[in-house]
Amino acid sequence: MKFWSNLSLRIRLTLLFVGLLAMLLCIFGVIYYQDTRNLLIETMASNLRARAKPTIEHWLYGKPMFTEGKKGRTYTLKKIAPFLARDLTSRKTVALVLDRYGKVLANGKWLPEEPDPVSPVPRYVRLALGGKNEVTYVTRHEGTFFLVILIPLRTSPGDGKVIGLVQINASLASLQNVMRQHGMMMILVAILTLAIGAFLGLLMVSSSLGGLKRMVETCQAISEGKLDHRVNLPDRGDEIGKLAGAFDGMVEQIERTVESQRRFVANAAHELKSPLTALRGSIEVLLRGVQDDPIATARLVQGMYREVTRFSNLCERLLDLSRMEGIVSLHKRPVVLRDVMREFLPQLQKMAASRVMKLEVGPHVTLSFDPDMFRQVLFNLVQNAVAHTEVGEEIVVGWRLVSNPEGVLLWVKDHGEGISEKDLPHVFEPFYQGASRLGRETKSGTGLGLSIVKAIMTAHHGEIEIESTPGVGTRVMIRIPFE
Amino acid sequence: MGTEETVGNRPKVLIVEDEPTIREFLETGLAYEGYDPKSVEKGKEGLTLALEQQFDVIILDIMLPDMDGFEVCRRIREKGSETSIMMLTAKKEVSDRITGLDAGADDYLMKPFSFKELLARLRALLRRSSRYKEPKILKSADIILNMETRDVWRNGKSLYLTPKEFELLKMFMQHPQRVFTRETLLNRVWGYHFIGDANIVDVHVSHLREKLGDRPPRLIRTHYGVGYSFHPEEVP
Repeated sequence: MKFWSNLSLRIRLTLLFVGLLAMLLCIFGVIYYQDTRNLLIETMASNLRARAKPTIEHWLYGKPMFTEGKKGRTYTLKKIAPFLARDLTSRKTVALVLDRYGKVLANGKWLPEEPDPVSPVPRYVRLALGGKNEVTYVTRHEGTFFLVILIPLRTSPGDGKVIGLVQINASLASLQNVMRQHGMMMILVAILTLAIGAFLGLLMVSSSLGGLKRMVETCQAISEGKLDHRVNLPDRGDEIGKLAGAFDGMVEQIERTVESQRRFVANAAHELKSPLTALRGSIEVLLRGVQDDPIATARLVQGMYREVTRFSNLCERLLDLSRMEGIVSLHKRPVVLRDVMREFLPQLQKMAASRVMKLEVGPHVTLSFDPDMFRQVLFNLVQNAVAHTEVGEEIVVGWRLVSNPEGVLLWVKDHGEGISEKDLPHVFEPFYQGASRLGRETKSGTGLGLSIVKAIMTAHHGEIEIESTPGVGTRVMIRIPFE
Repeated sequence: MGTEETVGNRPKVLIVEDEPTIREFLETGLAYEGYDPKSVEKGKEGLTLALEQQFDVIILDIMLPDMDGFEVCRRIREKGSETSIMMLTAKKEVSDRITGLDAGADDYLMKPFSFKELLARLRALLRRSSRYKEPKILKSADIILNMETRDVWRNGKSLYLTPKEFELLKMFMQHPQRVFTRETLLNRVWGYHFIGDANIVDVHVSHLREKLGDRPPRLIRTHYGVGYSFHPEEVP
């Protein structure tokens, strides 16, 4: 069994195929051989009968010498028996005439080259004497097969009384020779068929499994880290082609994921390095002696404080993001939008500093949302609006009901600097920060806010959209469906 | 006399960096180390300034808001300027460094870098550039200090100084009048990682004074509770 499962699939399938073919050929051959043999014997028998019939009729009914005697027909039969037997004997056949008790009356063999008669089998003799029809059987005598026909002799043609019988036997040696040759021929043809079948089968299996070999090679390349390798069998529509297609699709997805992960890590490292550079440099400069100058020291320490804040902010945001992206359980609770917004308003106003923070109270709805995450979404969006809006401008937060899917549309609108067309498609990418004038000056953003918001919205089956016109303002809309 | 000369000799450094804190520590630190730094935030400003004025070294960040460091570097080189350029990069990729060097940079430094290394690389760049030559011999009052052979003479008389004493004297002579605290001297001469009593500075300064034959009015003056300073001009 182990040997079998260690064989290559190609060999196994081919062997299976050839085995089945051989079995079919065997069954077919045996049936065909038997049929042919029977048919030949049957033909031979009917030939013999047909030849014997006129002779029998001639001697029994056609001659005046055959008359009803005093002692019955047997006696008469005894007279004509030698002639009948002799007439029915030829080079290939020999006839015996038997009386109605099964006793041999005459043997047709005269010449030595004529075959020997087989001794009558009492069982068949009785059958032929008792029945109405001829009995035909094959028997073996001294190494050769013989066809034996027993023909009952009647007083009158058709339904007369049976007064004896004629046994004609013919050697089947020539027929056997023919059958042997025939059989050899068949075996030869079968072997040839199997060989061709095996060859074609191997070709066929190889061509259908050829894709598998490529897949194995591709898999090896991929496990060596070459993620850009593909099986690439686009012109195959069969199962292997579909498997290759699915496999390529999967590798494509993995490559994209790995690439985005790699970019994320590179970006994160870069963002973390900036404050580290500033901190390290400032500390070194202080240690080298600038600490003796109070004014320069104050300036540097302030910068260091700024960087440490930024660094810890960034770490916190990164942790947030990694938490969001692997959200296991949401602590969803009913969030009454009106109450929550009114509660947050003072904090939002404080955040907006000297910008005008306006709340447009919408319909009374209750959402199912993680309260902490809702707060994070709202504050992130408002913080973005504040960072990109000039002092004195207006920031509006509001909501309304929407259908399809049923839910709430919440928006944060500002009249700030807007987002350029070039930056708009990338704003959700982690660490992406467009060329914003105001955002740069404040240096407050980590470039992660919108990524976090998006992750939260995805976890809540919500959506986020941004409309923006540079110089006019930005509107961020989130859609939260009802459960 | 010495002060005037050093100021005139101070190598001019242009810093193009958008991170305010990095810009600030570079400017402060380089000024303290005897350079004449000037810093700008944007690539275009940096380019204009680099073409208008003569600098000895330009420290150029790659990630700039308006025009990236590679572009600035390429344009500076296009105008035929041969000022030494040192690139600052936060990326580890070799391709970034190659792009930088191909754009015409002379050196690169990866963030986060050590300020000490930055100084060493600046010195190396300056040595290579023809315009600025770092003085190999310091002269103050009647003391001559050869930085290459590490020989010291006073009044034509050769003195034997230990390495630490030599470094101390060099620090004083390079920064006349400046008051160094014991901590600063420790950091500069013994290194940031030196853990021990600041009194070791006092011990070495007193040995140095002895070897110099420093008598009041002293060349190396003590500021009680603060540290030491060097005053060559007051020696007759």
